[in-house]
Amino acid sequence: MDSLGTSPEVTYNWVDITTDFFSHIQDLQLGELLHDGHLFGLFEAMSAIEMMDPKMDAGMLCNRGNPKPLNFQQALACGKLKVDDLEPGEIIGVIDATMACIVSWLEGHSLAQTVLTNIYLHQPHLIGNKTLKAYCIAVYKLLDCIRDCINKAQVFEEEDFLPMCYGYRLGSNPQSGSNYDASLEVTEQKCIAMLKEQEEDLNKKAKSIDDEANNAWAGVAARIRFTRMFYQALFLITKRDSQSGVDCVALLNGCSETMKVIIKTAEKGTQPEENSDAPNPMGFEPMINQRLLPPTFPRYTKIKPRSEALLYFDELVTRLRLAWKITSCTNFHVALDFFMEFSRQRACILSRSALQLLYLSPSPASMASQTVHSSTSVQARPHHLFIEILRESVKSFVNPAMPTAKSGSVGSIQVREYVDNFLARCVRPFAVLLQVCGHNRARQRDKLGLLLDELAALQEEANNVDEVVSSANGTATRACFNTWILYHVLRVMIAYLLSGLELELYSVHEYHYIFWYLYEFLYGWLVSALARAEALSAEPTRKTEKRGGARKLKKRARPNMRESLICQVMQNMCGGYYKALVAFKLQGKIRQPMSQFDNEAVRYKHRFAPLAVISPPQVHYHEFCEMTQPLQYENPVLLYVAGYKHFQQARNLLETITTPDQEVQDLLKVAKTNFIVLKLLADGHKKDSTLPPDFDFSAHRHFPIIKIA
Amino acid sequence: MKSLDEPEDKVTEELDGKAKLRKWLNMNFRIEMTDGRILIGVFLCTDRDANIILGACSEYSKNSDGEPEEPRVLGLVMVPGRHIVSIQIDDTAPPQKYYYED
Repeated sequence: MDSLGTSPEVTYNWVDITTDFFSHIQDLQLGELLHDGHLFGLFEAMSAIEMMDPKMDAGMLCNRGNPKPLNFQQALACGKLKVDDLEPGEIIGVIDATMACIVSWLEGHSLAQTVLTNIYLHQPHLIGNKTLKAYCIAVYKLLDCIRDCINKAQVFEEEDFLPMCYGYRLGSNPQSGSNYDASLEVTEQKCIAMLKEQEEDLNKKAKSIDDEANNAWAGVAARIRFTRMFYQALFLITKRDSQSGVDCVALLNGCSETMKVIIKTAEKGTQPEENSDAPNPMGFEPMINQRLLPPTFPRYTKIKPRSEALLYFDELVTRLRLAWKITSCTNFHVALDFFMEFSRQRACILSRSALQLLYLSPSPASMASQTVHSSTSVQARPHHLFIEILRESVKSFVNPAMPTAKSGSVGSIQVREYVDNFLARCVRPFAVLLQVCGHNRARQRDKLGLLLDELAALQEEANNVDEVVSSANGTATRACFNTWILYHVLRVMIAYLLSGLELELYSVHEYHYIFWYLYEFLYGWLVSALARAEALSAEPTRKTEKRGGARKLKKRARPNMRESLICQVMQNMCGGYYKALVAFKLQGKIRQPMSQFDNEAVRYKHRFAPLAVISPPQVHYHEFCEMTQPLQYENPVLLYVAGYKHFQQARNLLETITTPDQEVQDLLKVAKTNFIVLKLLADGHKKDSTLPPDFDFSAHRHFPIIKIA
Repeated sequence: MKSLDEPEDKVTEELDGKAKLRKWLNMNFRIEMTDGRILIGVFLCTDRDANIILGACSEYSKNSDGEPEEPRVLGLVMVPGRHIVSIQIDDTAPPQKYYYED
């Protein structure tokens, strides 16, 4: 018996052992593994691909595609592919299917299994139909632009986006290697010109033909128009090329308008066949790139349904329009809040990336390490820009009294240098902070934990800067820079702890110390940091300004007021939860783990480990025990009363906000409901029940509504 | 071949089965699956249901016209016992180690 298809240098002499093998294995116990003990174990076994499992086994008959996928030339030869005289419905079908593929790609699938299953894209220059040709070339440019945007922003993880191109060259000319023909290269301007020309032609066609067909040509025209404007807008965002003179906002608005027509005409296009994997009857071969993928790659990509994909594009454009607003955010704190709010809406990878590029491109987060060494390089521009942004942030937050440049003394120059150095060192951590906000929600937590170290390390330097600045001014030390850094450290700490609630990482029996920590320390410290900042910035820097200073104080006190108020709301909410949780525990309503299996001290240590920075000091478990000891003997009723008072206070504070946004309304709902629940409990409702309370996070991601079973 | 199925008494044969399987560890196996594909790889592990793990495995298949296709390198695979049609062992080379010993 000879071997099958082996390479010539290896020869085998196969001996059949089927029956022996099957009889020998009878000697094994059920579940017993026979293996080379120290070389191969269960752990290695876990990573094996399971053969004949349709999800893992690419070579299975069901996964091989039957009949064999046809490439562009083959499909053309056997008449399955039309490159001339396409009906408008057919063009709409191809375009909508391609858009569905692009959306699937943006949701983390591979390019080879989504957009590049469109075989028109394999030979765009051989397509006779000018509309489709222009579209296909534009898709290549668009893919390239999208990838460029996401790659530059560096806020993606493997679950967000796959940048691999599998040997296809993006950007107008898919041919590479020996097939490469430079003359087929299409520039951005030419691509846009081609699309514009088609737009005009199609509009003429749409007008010349009467009603029924008219719709379909108008649909094609809208798609080409959308593609052009979307590409132009994204190109503008990615390249930050302000010379071109096109208005990004106008383009995006145009995209939104056009999308309405596209959605309306979606049913004019050819629709995918039922039970077919191809997103369109013509032009798509789902298995065409299968050989390019690694063997363990998921075989099968479900392309997003067209209606959902179009909606995705529509929302994407809306998100990009929102992201554009960052360009008018000059204040760093406002920008940071904007980034956090944007992330909260769970934006897609492309809009998250666009936001990053719109604010600072290229990001100083990736640049900082280089520019520290060669600050003279041309690339250092965004670095300097960011230093100025940070300087402005410190100024508006705490208003440090800088010696004026006019004085020109040696001392003042040194002080300026000192401050500049400090700010230069702040660039990386703060740029990273913005970048972290761009990552997907699940990844943010770990990154925040890592960032804490870097931020906290700046605190000592901030102290030194404060001392130097104050002594230069001949005043007592004003903790300006220190307060500014502390404020950010605390915000990151709070975000870190809260994200655990959002990601459902904590068990219910852990809630009490999480909320305790937030209530007793972090929010309290944050409130006082804000108060200190307000006091510092209101302080007249020069004695002569005293009069004007009083008026200034009123104006200046504003920016932090709302934030300070929200912090107090949060602190009260956390206090309410904490007290309620202790009371639940005392009444036996919360199941506690056996401490020898699941030790609270260990969990506590683990939960707060990233908070172990020099300042503010971490509160250790033994301190937690000491501080919370007295409550163990408290009457649960009194705790419920204290709890509902907290929620009441939170509610009262929230109601003073004159223009409540969604966040405030959500918090208000939670505070109101919990107030009532705790009030009932204080009155003895379900006193003897040991049924665990339910924590419902549907109203707010961090603050649950307590429900009594 | 003969040495593989010597008749022995029941108690020792029980141990013998395992011992023989153990001797095959780290040798090249050629497994034919129910769908006609052939897998060639290093025998690393098995259990009572004849689920077999092969290391450095390659897949040899034929297309619809019966012509052999280019082999695909799969790496570590597990073949469920119920999908095994036949097993062959390569008796040319001495057993090679899949991993380096420490």
